[in-house]
Amino acid sequence: MSSNKIRWPSWPLLVPALALLAGILLVPLADTLIRSVSTPGWTLSNYSNLFTDGVTLTVLWRTAVTAATVTAAALLIGYPYAYLMTRVSPRARGILLVIVLIPFWTSVMARNFAWIIILQDGGPVQSLFEFFGADDVVFYGTTVGVTIAMTQVMLPFMVLPLFSTLGAIDRRLLLAARGLGSSPTAAFWKVYWPLSRSGVMAGVILVFTLSLGFYVTPALLGSPQESLVAQLLAQRTTLLLDFAAAGALGILVLVVTLVLVAWANRMGGTMSAIGVVAAGRTEGRR
Amino acid sequence: MKSRSRTVLAGAGLTAAMLLLAACGGGGDAGSDAAGGQVRLTYVSYGGSGQDAQIKAFQEPYTAAHPNVTFVNSSPADVAQVKAQVTSGVVQWDVVSVAPAAATQHCGKLFEKLNLGDLNTKDFVPNAIGECYVGNFGNASPFAYNADKFPDPATAPKTLADFFDTAKFPGKRGVITNLQNGILEYPLLAEGVAPDKLYPLDVDRALNKWATIRKDTLFAPNVGALQQAAASGQVDMFLLSDSRLIALLNEKKNIKIVWDTTVVSVNALAVPLGSKNKETAQDFLRSLVQPGPVAKITEMLGTVPVNLNAKPNLTDNGKAVEVYGPGNTGKTVVQDIEWYSQHWDEVTTKLNNWLVS
Repeated sequence: MSSNKIRWPSWPLLVPALALLAGILLVPLADTLIRSVSTPGWTLSNYSNLFTDGVTLTVLWRTAVTAATVTAAALLIGYPYAYLMTRVSPRARGILLVIVLIPFWTSVMARNFAWIIILQDGGPVQSLFEFFGADDVVFYGTTVGVTIAMTQVMLPFMVLPLFSTLGAIDRRLLLAARGLGSSPTAAFWKVYWPLSRSGVMAGVILVFTLSLGFYVTPALLGSPQESLVAQLLAQRTTLLLDFAAAGALGILVLVVTLVLVAWANRMGGTMSAIGVVAAGRTEGRR
Repeated sequence: MKSRSRTVLAGAGLTAAMLLLAACGGGGDAGSDAAGGQVRLTYVSYGGSGQDAQIKAFQEPYTAAHPNVTFVNSSPADVAQVKAQVTSGVVQWDVVSVAPAAATQHCGKLFEKLNLGDLNTKDFVPNAIGECYVGNFGNASPFAYNADKFPDPATAPKTLADFFDTAKFPGKRGVITNLQNGILEYPLLAEGVAPDKLYPLDVDRALNKWATIRKDTLFAPNVGALQQAAASGQVDMFLLSDSRLIALLNEKKNIKIVWDTTVVSVNALAVPLGSKNKETAQDFLRSLVQPGPVAKITEMLGTVPVNLNAKPNLTDNGKAVEVYGPGNTGKTVVQDIEWYSQHWDEVTTKLNNWLVS
């Protein structure tokens, strides 16, 4: 890992990527930032309005809670799944990977419409609950329904980095722990879990930040009462044409996200998260 | 080897993730040019069968009469896009679907003022022709219900007040959150406000009325979502636009329409400010509100004809939802574009803040 520093003679290789990023990311972002503080006139009113309009904070909080719930659910489902992937034969692993990737390669719209059919009133899920005697269980248009669907959509983003990290863990360490008298539970928590933490943080950050910006699933499956921040942004842009206020909201979300990522980075050494693949490869070669 | 192939697979997975993220962008579309007498009008509406019908009813006859004019179709129409194009000075759209209130609000700022020549407003439904727009069709959103849920006509809902009475008529309601479908008019009408006293709208009173049945109501973000919900029996009573009611009736859904007071709104086409083909676009707009194209679009979509001289040949299901036809035994309110254009931001903010909190 430590030898992965970029040697200066190779910097021209970065030019296309940097130019692309500058063109499609930095310039529009700066434009958005400037507009949000310069309309009308130089003012921070677009930002102070966010805190006083009584709606933005509610929706932001709701977005954060939903994203956190989805992340936790994806981790609970994804961790055992990724673990299983590291323990089976290559053929079974391929099948497990394909099971994760097929929905990943399916159109997001198709998946969300499928969830509408599954979760709607009188749909299969509701019928199942009715069969067990629980009437009036409603998913369509509720936070629960949105969370379930978002979790499924987000699962690959959790499983892939986890699989990559878990697969790189040297299982002889567990053997050593057992040999030194540790119980299986203790061996997991003291040895395996800490080694897997960079993958966990990678998955958590990916899923959480992507969930913060989710638009399609809550728009299709939720009711307006479950609107997330992306819907608020869309409303300010397309209905009110208030690009400055929308920009202010976007910048606020971006800052909140960056703060969270920075915090998570301190907690779990996440920047290596982005590099888990590279890490996995190094381990694999050894 | 084993772990190597594993990491390659994982790498492929992450690459796929990146591609997926990158694929979230949209696509642009071609501009227009007027070289050599050839004119290409970029026509932007909401896609789907609605736009297909507009191609057949409006564009094809116009191209037949003016062979040098062709059309490029794009969707979805979006005022924010118009604003972006106008402010950046790169106007690519020539004719765009827009709410008449928005066209009026931004008249001369985002949309061209139109010179429509000899059009006589007496030939049109109210508000069909504006300074910056022409109405391409109207939409009525009458109160309708699922007759499987209320099979006995004697005990079925009969008035708008019944729509808001969940004690007497239990069941799920559906409404579109778009201002053009009467979300603010219907609760006031149900409270007994006279149709000619609706404007200025008492928005707070309207929202308070919705609050009484909020947990029994599906607030659909668009027409398609409510149509889907009505088709699958998710809602028992709904305020859905005429063209979608016909689609449900054509699918043999057991739907009855309650002709109490019905809200009618006009859909419009406008020309973005700075369009390179303004003259042609204007002439095209003038052509499509003539009785012929209006009758044709009405027949195809089941919408309200904006030109009173149009004589559409309606199907039985078309007649069933025809708001200006003999079947409508109640009253009709046409949305007040002037009022909406002056209060658009305020009303939109109020409604959406109520909806999301």
